[in-house]
Amino acid sequence: MGTVVTIEVVGHGGDAPGRVARADAVGRAIAWFQHVEDCCSRFDSHSEVRQLSDQIGVPVPVSPTTLEAVQFALALAEETNGAFDPTIGAAMVERGFDRNYRTGERVSVATTEHATYRDVEVDAINSTITLHRPLQLDLGAVAKGLAIDLAARELRPFTNFLVNAGGDLYVGGHNAAGAEWSVGIRHPREEGALLDTLRVSNCAMCTSGDYERRSVIDQATHHLLDPRTRHSATRAASVTVIAPLAVVADGLATAAFVLGPVQGLPLLARHGVEGLIVTPSLERFTTPGWAHE
Amino acid sequence: MSDSNKPIQPVDPAGPGQWLKGNLVGLGSAAVLAVYAAGFERTRAAAAKFSDEAAVRRPHAPIRTTGEIGGLMPRVPDSAHTPQPKIVAAKPDIHAASKSAAAKRPEHATDTKPVPGADSVKPQATVAATQSPPAPAHDSTPAPQKPAEVAVTTKPTPTDTAQSEREIVRKDGTYTGWGTSRHGDIQATVQIKDGKIVFAAISECLTQYSCSWIAALPPQVLARQSADVDIVSGATQSTDAFYYAVIAALNKAK
Repeated sequence: MGTVVTIEVVGHGGDAPGRVARADAVGRAIAWFQHVEDCCSRFDSHSEVRQLSDQIGVPVPVSPTTLEAVQFALALAEETNGAFDPTIGAAMVERGFDRNYRTGERVSVATTEHATYRDVEVDAINSTITLHRPLQLDLGAVAKGLAIDLAARELRPFTNFLVNAGGDLYVGGHNAAGAEWSVGIRHPREEGALLDTLRVSNCAMCTSGDYERRSVIDQATHHLLDPRTRHSATRAASVTVIAPLAVVADGLATAAFVLGPVQGLPLLARHGVEGLIVTPSLERFTTPGWAHE
Repeated sequence: MSDSNKPIQPVDPAGPGQWLKGNLVGLGSAAVLAVYAAGFERTRAAAAKFSDEAAVRRPHAPIRTTGEIGGLMPRVPDSAHTPQPKIVAAKPDIHAASKSAAAKRPEHATDTKPVPGADSVKPQATVAATQSPPAPAHDSTPAPQKPAEVAVTTKPTPTDTAQSEREIVRKDGTYTGWGTSRHGDIQATVQIKDGKIVFAAISECLTQYSCSWIAALPPQVLARQSADVDIVSGATQSTDAFYYAVIAALNKAK
């Protein structure tokens, strides 16, 4: 996922079995990230999502992980009328986001048509996915969120913990000071400033910004493309979503980034999550329940 | 009920989760559960490996469970070992300084020899094969971590330990330390005068991206007199690098 994952479990040693259980759970939590990466990376030619692109028009059996990730991505695409679209992989490559962050290796995809999420068919009964047109799935936001949620689920018995995957996070319980976790949101333009600082607990928080990854071809292009135009989305500079699940927070943050505040806020409200949308002109829009210190 | 078209049940036998359409949180929960259930065994091997590594490190852990029965009795900060000056004392306290530096959260009040990673569970897992700095021990809470099976949450009472830790004496001087992230390294310079951090800055920035956007962090170190900086959503990797750099610098202030 090209991301450093940090896991913190608050609590001291306890007895030996307790420590072993904790180390065990953290090991499993980390393993989830590797597992999701193995299934869903569009940069790894052995991943299931890459294998799918080699067999167009044929139902391809996939693991439950890929099946669920794709199913969720399609539901999100439908909910957002294509503002989020997991078939944007080819456009990402066109715009220069074609390197494996880990190895530097370039990926290439043979897609000519502008496929959409409607060209992807999931058969949950038989656990297969069919691509009806040549396309490359990009599960980026959904896969990372899913991995965070799986890790969080693994750590839930410990109550107080933090899973942080490159600024997208899940916080459980409280921090080592016994207080709710304090999370700052990076300002998209003012260097060094924070947009907001929040005290949060038992929720996921994901930020999509136009500052993270720039295209190597064109510096004005950032990694959040509007699937409908295939160009960088320009209605927002930063979107932060707080939701019960990271997969929801990450997915909706990406969608709301593309939609901008006018359509994005109603989308967030409809799904009962809180969000902050900052436009390129630095206007702030929040859902009614958004609270800050 | 049969005349209702409400999607209470799967209308389309296309599969589980269909009735959750329009409810992303519900669908997400179902997805997480399904993957978790299917993949639990898969993560076992990795977990066992990690557990073995942890077991190798564990003998170095300082004994910090004294005074607890089954990990359930609240731990009282051991003031015999740790001076907790309300006013900064003139004499530098080596243990206190290193301890404060090694503890991410400043509640580390009991052990005199913190061993980074001894007993903490903060591995820097990097899916991207990153060389991460060693995670410091930071896992002390005023109240005990309950066993996994106990469902009752015991919220630890924040004590004034945190406050006193922040005022702990460090040796005067100017110190530098390096922190590492996937995007590159950061060197922090910390100046200590009269036992207090009077200056903290990013002195070298070898990251792929500009360091300037984490410029808010050094003033925070001054304000808090510790390396306890916030998590920054969207900028975590460099934040961590700065944090480790400050830790490294403070470790030299002995």
